[in-house]
Amino acid sequence: MAAPTVTASLNATSFAPGAQMLLTITYGDLDNKTLTVTVVVTDTQGNSSAPVKVSAVIDPLVVTVTDTSGRAWTRVSDNGSVAVYRAVA
Amino acid sequence: MSRVTVTVRDSAGQAATAAANYTILPPVLGGYYLSGGADPTADMAGGNFRSLTQYRSFADGYVFPGYNRPWLVTLGRSGVLLNMVLELKHYGAPDTGPQTFVVDGVTHTVPAPTMTIQQRPGTVWPKAYGYGQVLAGQCDGLFARALSQYRTMGFGVNIQLASELDTDHEFGTTESGKAYTWAESDGRAVQAMTYIVDWFRAKALPQGTTFSVGLGGFDRDCFRRTHPESLMTRLDHLQWNVYATSPGHTALDRFRRTKDWAVVDLGPVALSRPVLIAEWGVRVAELPDQAGWIATVPPAIARLNAERGPFIARTNYFNSGWGALNPKVTGLAALRAAYARPPYA
Repeated sequence: MAAPTVTASLNATSFAPGAQMLLTITYGDLDNKTLTVTVVVTDTQGNSSAPVKVSAVIDPLVVTVTDTSGRAWTRVSDNGSVAVYRAVA
Repeated sequence: MSRVTVTVRDSAGQAATAAANYTILPPVLGGYYLSGGADPTADMAGGNFRSLTQYRSFADGYVFPGYNRPWLVTLGRSGVLLNMVLELKHYGAPDTGPQTFVVDGVTHTVPAPTMTIQQRPGTVWPKAYGYGQVLAGQCDGLFARALSQYRTMGFGVNIQLASELDTDHEFGTTESGKAYTWAESDGRAVQAMTYIVDWFRAKALPQGTTFSVGLGGFDRDCFRRTHPESLMTRLDHLQWNVYATSPGHTALDRFRRTKDWAVVDLGPVALSRPVLIAEWGVRVAELPDQAGWIATVPPAIARLNAERGPFIARTNYFNSGWGALNPKVTGLAALRAAYARPPYA
């Protein structure tokens, strides 16, 4: 099992009260793969269904965000390698 | 300083963490000035006004709180931070002669002011107590009178010495018949301001007393000359004024002009001081959408404060002269709305 990697960056280093804060998280894991399983049903006469694809993530990563000031961060987007979180300054 | 920490963990419990530090800036204090030094209480009521500029001449017998201005004490005690601009400039009335008065049982005699400032050709040049007079100790009685009155207020204020040294010196000064260039006047003013701040700081002052010197901030060389580190160690704020007087003026450009010069020209002590904008205003003749312009100020201040350089801490709208709100109802509503938004609230 490979160890995951992560970087975190904010859109600024200082914020006015009430300003939107954006946190961009880039993360990954070498053995964290998205696997596509293709299913085809075939009967005894040799008829086949159309293929159906389904994706499964092996060893998914769990992202947690904590803040020393107790500020709540909410997820805006996450595509499995880049996640964006938002908070209010 | 706060820190946000991100942890990613896989199903086997292997984890990685990353962190980012950040700072939440204090709110900027929205402020005001009403034409003629009039009572601004009604205009400020219910709005997020937390700062106020006032102008007094050291020549006046009523510096704190000022003649017939009990409301200033009320506002100060309610938490509005006062920026008291105290000027060597003589406002002209009732006369400009010598004064003899008693302060706390001590009789002081102060000679007539011997300097002229704001020597714009074709105008009457105002009189002011001279920088030489200050350095000779001739104005100590004026300072003693102001301090004695200040101590009765019950709270600390920012004392801004001079309104705009650049405006005062732009066309040179004259003291006791001797003419001084703009640059010479700046140098003499720095000595006199140093003397005055030292004079006050050697006395018991109300808690929270701070000092600054006043500049319009329209001339880069003057701003540099009047902010040597030796003086800035004695001061608590940087200060300049901001006016929009052309259709092309944006809030960001106007507020940043003097800041950008300061960041390049001034030393670390000066740049460590927060900025008090004693006056800002939008001249309606060139910018008829005064309210619209005012609405662009909060994001401009937020952006400037997110950049490097001194923190803009207080901005006092000058509802008079170039900044006169017209129509007042519309302008005041825009100002209230601006001060209700970040970075003010």
